[in-house]
Amino acid sequence: MSGRSLPLATRLLAREWRAGELRVLIFALVIAVLVSTAISFFTDRLQRGMVSRAAEFLGADMVVSSRAPLPEAFLQQAVQLGLNHTHLVEFASVTASENEMQLSSIKAAGPGYPLRGQVRISDELFGAERVPDGIPPPGEVWIEPRLLTILDLEPGDTLEVGYSNLRIAALLTHEPDRAGDFYSLNPRVLMNLADLEATRVIQPGSRERYRLLLSGSEGAQSAFRQWVTPRLEANQRLTTVGDDNQRIGSALDRASQFLGIASIAAVVLAGVAVALSASRFATRHFDTSALLRSMGASRRRVMSIFTIQLAVIGLFATLIGLALGWLMQWGLVAVLRDLLPPNLPGVGLKPLLVGAATGFIGLAGFALPPLLRLGQVAPLRVLRRDLAPLPSSGWLIYGLAFAALTILMWQFTGNLQITLAVVFGGAAAALLLGLLAWLLLRVIGQRLRHASLAWRLGTGQLLKQPTVAAGQVLAFGLIMMSMVVILILRTELLDAWQAQLPDDAPNHFAMNILPDEEQAFRAKLDEIGAVAAPLYPITPGRLTEINGEPVRELVTKETQAERAINRDLSLTWSADLPPDNRLRDGQWWDQLPPDDAPRVSIEAELADNLGVELGDVLTFVIAGMVIETPVVSIREVEWDNFTPNFFMIFSPGTLAEVPTTLLTSFSLPTEQREDLRDLVRAFPAMTLLEVEAILQQIRDILSQVTLAVEYVLIFVLLAGFTVLFASLQATLDTRRYEGALLRTLGARKSLLRQANRLEFALLGALSGLLAIAAAELITLLLYRFALDLEWSPHWLLWLLVPLAGALLIGIAGALGTRAVVNQSPMRLINQGN
Amino acid sequence: MSESVIIASHLSKVVRSSEAELTILDNVSLSIERGSSVAIVGASGSGKSTLLSLLAGLDLPTTGEVILAGQPLGKLDEDQRAALRAQHVGFVFQSFQLLASLTALENVMLPLELHDRKDARERATQLLDRVGLGQRTTHYPSQLSGGEQQRVAIARAFASEPDILFADEPTGNLDAGTGQRITDLLFQLNQEQGATLVMVTHDQRLAERCESALHLEAGRLLEPVA
Repeated sequence: MSGRSLPLATRLLAREWRAGELRVLIFALVIAVLVSTAISFFTDRLQRGMVSRAAEFLGADMVVSSRAPLPEAFLQQAVQLGLNHTHLVEFASVTASENEMQLSSIKAAGPGYPLRGQVRISDELFGAERVPDGIPPPGEVWIEPRLLTILDLEPGDTLEVGYSNLRIAALLTHEPDRAGDFYSLNPRVLMNLADLEATRVIQPGSRERYRLLLSGSEGAQSAFRQWVTPRLEANQRLTTVGDDNQRIGSALDRASQFLGIASIAAVVLAGVAVALSASRFATRHFDTSALLRSMGASRRRVMSIFTIQLAVIGLFATLIGLALGWLMQWGLVAVLRDLLPPNLPGVGLKPLLVGAATGFIGLAGFALPPLLRLGQVAPLRVLRRDLAPLPSSGWLIYGLAFAALTILMWQFTGNLQITLAVVFGGAAAALLLGLLAWLLLRVIGQRLRHASLAWRLGTGQLLKQPTVAAGQVLAFGLIMMSMVVILILRTELLDAWQAQLPDDAPNHFAMNILPDEEQAFRAKLDEIGAVAAPLYPITPGRLTEINGEPVRELVTKETQAERAINRDLSLTWSADLPPDNRLRDGQWWDQLPPDDAPRVSIEAELADNLGVELGDVLTFVIAGMVIETPVVSIREVEWDNFTPNFFMIFSPGTLAEVPTTLLTSFSLPTEQREDLRDLVRAFPAMTLLEVEAILQQIRDILSQVTLAVEYVLIFVLLAGFTVLFASLQATLDTRRYEGALLRTLGARKSLLRQANRLEFALLGALSGLLAIAAAELITLLLYRFALDLEWSPHWLLWLLVPLAGALLIGIAGALGTRAVVNQSPMRLINQGN
Repeated sequence: MSESVIIASHLSKVVRSSEAELTILDNVSLSIERGSSVAIVGASGSGKSTLLSLLAGLDLPTTGEVILAGQPLGKLDEDQRAALRAQHVGFVFQSFQLLASLTALENVMLPLELHDRKDARERATQLLDRVGLGQRTTHYPSQLSGGEQQRVAIARAFASEPDILFADEPTGNLDAGTGQRITDLLFQLNQEQGATLVMVTHDQRLAERCESALHLEAGRLLEPVA
């Protein structure tokens, strides 16, 4: 039957297209597909761009590391897969000048290092930086500036590393993969891997780390990941982008979550547009359906004609939308060319599939119920035009739409939690507020019985069919909600990032300050205008036992705990809880009964890894003394705030007998780097660690992410407005007809204009109210369950959004119904037939 | 002896509203012979259009039976009735019922295309010529006058060469002069095609042009078939 209907259906469709009947539906669908394709394309490329940017922190796309030389098979596999590769060996060793010695962190790099990001060097102390061409040639080293000071050397002098003498060719100011090893305190040396053997520092039992750095196409990466993961031994570890760096990891996570939510917003927009225009399509075809039936077409034939038509429309609109979306993301990328990461990865196929799926799932979910109504049109309608088919069951309409939305969102975000938060938050809010809107309309109706005619006419339209009005409020509300959610999220994500790295974030760490230098050091910092965090006393110590059991036996896997216990921890004591620390369990000293016995507060993640709970007794070896102490609190620590943070904080006085030095971080504008020279001269024993480069790197990434978020916001807002106006068009038919009738009855143009404005403004205000209420609920759920942000109500928006809604929809509605006021009423009534 | 193409026996139509039962048609029996023309007349609300919708199988009676072209409608489901209409029945409506998105020609082609007739375009063009609208084939309904729209509707009704033509107040929306010309056209075409014409009207002069008339009052048939 449908085979027979195909030519007729398409012929009818072509005729309707010519008559301009289908523009609104096709427009809405094209917008839906366009928006989801473009956002999907853009976020896909951005995400991959950001990941490649974050790869700089690894110096590679992925790294396999081990305490022992890596198996040759790993390298062979990487070569076979076409991955770029290089080797690193990292170890601690004493370096020396003629008179001085210093334990240093040495990195012996193979050719090609770094695979991602850049090394930067300078030729003199605090001199201009430049990007070298490759690694130090054999026989030469690049060293961190402070090592020069400590060893009392000049560039061009010789540095002893093991049995080798290497010429100091330049000062190492930046290593891309330094951030991950932020807390290692030794000065750094970069040498050529070819010189390593001659130094004879690698001996059985020495503790070096071997790294295989890899980069290449995503396919090859994932193939290597799959190949290598089951082959990794206990002491071997695979690190990929984002794994290793909490700061970048969380920023990237949030950014991609934001982009995911933006896509959801786009899907909601698309869904509303398709639902409204499909419903209009159905209503306008009641007569066609009745007529075909009276001419003897069976119900199935009629249904198959309309189904084919919708499918053709869907295909057509999807193709156009895909093409436009593809073009648009190229446009976006071109506009942002200077700001996006270089070598933005190419376009994947997935966005096209996502766009196409949006078109068809959207059409099926949102257009099927109105379509089913078409099949139920009684042929008797040809004699009695007032016979409209029964509306489809609410369960069917909303159930289908709900299912379609959920599927699309899940597919977009790949995150069930966010999807459910948005879907259920939105549904609950919509239900509640739909009811509220209906009640409000009733109250307004009763109050306005004696108001002016314009008011009664305006509200009468809405009150006459409160369910229809509530449906429209819901549709416009959903559109505005999508826009408001994205707006709120964007503002607060940006604030969160800004707060995470304020402009005056500490960019230097100062260590090894002697206790009796404390006052002088503070004074010097004040003098050069540096803003410092508190000074913490530091002593190295090792955690040896938990409740009497050796720690080594408790920790098997390579976790943070392993790294924490395999080296000396920086231990401190403090009377106050450091800023940015939050007690998770237990109490701070000041809330406990005074006690001279030692007590300790442990960082939450380490505690979890070690299985330590409140009341457990930890044994430390500190400067040859054994100290046993109960855990009295567990703290959550913001590791990414660039101030001194500690795994263990002891109660004041606990370590009074132990020799200590002081540690702090401070912020000094980069223009004032010259002042550091003074500081270093005044406190020769002090170790100064510059983290400006790392900060800058993180800021760069955040600012790019921010920019992307801004553009996506603008995109969603534009799409929102477009869909809003398209949807409004779909509701104008009856209004035009009734307006024409009123004019026939002698209503003045001004009365009609006023009534129209009032009606749409009221519709807009109610939609705005619904939008902000739903947006609040959704952001609350998102913050709580997905984004891990603090939520507070946005009171100003409760005022602004309904106002904006009234204004926008008021103006758009007035423009849309202009024809009613200006054209001959007879003509409109004829068209309405 | 001519055969009956429509037989209705003891037709009643009762509509239940929330408060009361309203009897629209009350025990109507009639039979209409092939090739005849019959007017159904009566005041507004007398049940004329309801009777037409029952005879054409657009609606089902509460009690009673209609036999259309030899088929008892009560025993057919909606789609079988549709198939019967497709084969035997044409309609002309008071409000023309042209599809606004189709041109005059396309409106006339529609029933032919439903039958997959290959000559849809030629036949529709001929019919439009026949009703005097050969020059207006590409015009949309909104560009045609009421009389012209009804002529398109008549061309469409005869396009599929129906055995029975139902007309519901075909001149109801037209002025007297135009109505007269439309009526002439309708009877002319009816005669040419040898179809049975069943026409609802409250226009006495129009009713008199039919071979017989059925008078309805408050749902009852006043006179037996003449």
